[in-house]
Amino acid sequence: MNYVAPTTLAEAYRALQADDAVCLAGGQSLVAAMNLGLASPALIVSLRDIAALRGIETQADGGLRIGAMVSHAELAELGPSAPGPELLSRAARVVAYPAIRARGTIGGSVALADPSADYPVALQAIGASIELGGRSGTRMVSARDFFVGLFETARATGEVVLAIHVPPGPAGAGAAYEKLSIVAGDFAIVSVAAIGRDRLDIAVGGCGPTPIVVTGVGASDEALLAAGRALAASCDAPSDHRASAAYRRRVLPELLRRTGRTALERASA
Amino acid sequence: MTAPRHHSTLVVNGETRDVLAPVSATLLEVVRDQLDLCGTKRGCNHGVCGACTVLVDGRLARACLMLAVDVGDRPVTTIEGIADERGLSRVQQALVDAGAIQCGFCTPGFVMALTALLDANPHPSRDEVRSALSGNLCRCSGYIKIVDAAMRLAGSPDA
Repeated sequence: MNYVAPTTLAEAYRALQADDAVCLAGGQSLVAAMNLGLASPALIVSLRDIAALRGIETQADGGLRIGAMVSHAELAELGPSAPGPELLSRAARVVAYPAIRARGTIGGSVALADPSADYPVALQAIGASIELGGRSGTRMVSARDFFVGLFETARATGEVVLAIHVPPGPAGAGAAYEKLSIVAGDFAIVSVAAIGRDRLDIAVGGCGPTPIVVTGVGASDEALLAAGRALAASCDAPSDHRASAAYRRRVLPELLRRTGRTALERASA
Repeated sequence: MTAPRHHSTLVVNGETRDVLAPVSATLLEVVRDQLDLCGTKRGCNHGVCGACTVLVDGRLARACLMLAVDVGDRPVTTIEGIADERGLSRVQQALVDAGAIQCGFCTPGFVMALTALLDANPHPSRDEVRSALSGNLCRCSGYIKIVDAAMRLAGSPDA
């Protein structure tokens, strides 16, 4: 196993041409997988010295461009923001534990695409985009198209997640992110992200290989529960050591209703 | 075949140390096996239990989830670097005073987590303490006294 820590994206792209090369961001999943014998790449390309991957830029419309190496802790500590960034910040506050939040990055989490992770759910509810870069240039992919399967994304071999573009969200919208987990910080059994004012865009995590999105849900409890029941009936919920598929389907409608209610309570009147 | 070894210069508890280790060696392996700092414990080795918690650049880190070669010039503080010349740190002393130690295996990780919490938030609520400690497992299940110790330090009425 070899290791390089390039300082520019061009050098990183060149290094990633090697067979079996992987990006190392915060390492909170990759190093765990290496320790468990599940990953043994030939070359580790550390992204920690690439300044272009750091920092959060506020756009003119109130949206954010978040560098891939921004940590969960930085996002958790975002100040007052537009509804879209606020939803992402709420999700960041419940990613794992303080020690993990201090090291783990949004780019690493997005690139891994764990089906129970928090960002993929929040980003799909918000309608965010993922900026990818590689030797042939950069491109933007909608978060709703980026997560294509279990730990599978639209990122091509040799590409790097450069940034996450989070739109401001509808004016006056409220946002909420709720997750049901065994202890604070564990991966979700079920999680729900909701954003909107009169109607809500909602994404659900933990109930299939990728988050499920439903847009334009009505604001009444009945409409929210109906949307939750429809998702529960159609989702491909897994059974694992955290919960059975039947349990996930059972709790989804009510968690969706509560999250939707919370988002609506936060919307400006 | 022996894995190639890479040279790193680590700053641990204020001392500069040269290390030769394979790329796959974690900070945890290096501090325990090469630097003989065995206070940092190896529990689960995949980031869940918190027994290997250290400070890197002043912020919490799982030593098992950082490659030693990737630490670079960021200073590392282990449990051995927490106490001052006078003896135990105030967090360590509070754990002793509250009887919050059973087998002691998880204690270094709890000390690091509580030290970071109280630096950032000197007067946390009981819920904030519990949340800050959610990533540290005590196999003796002695959580109540650990939280009690933290609440004494927080100077809170619900201590």
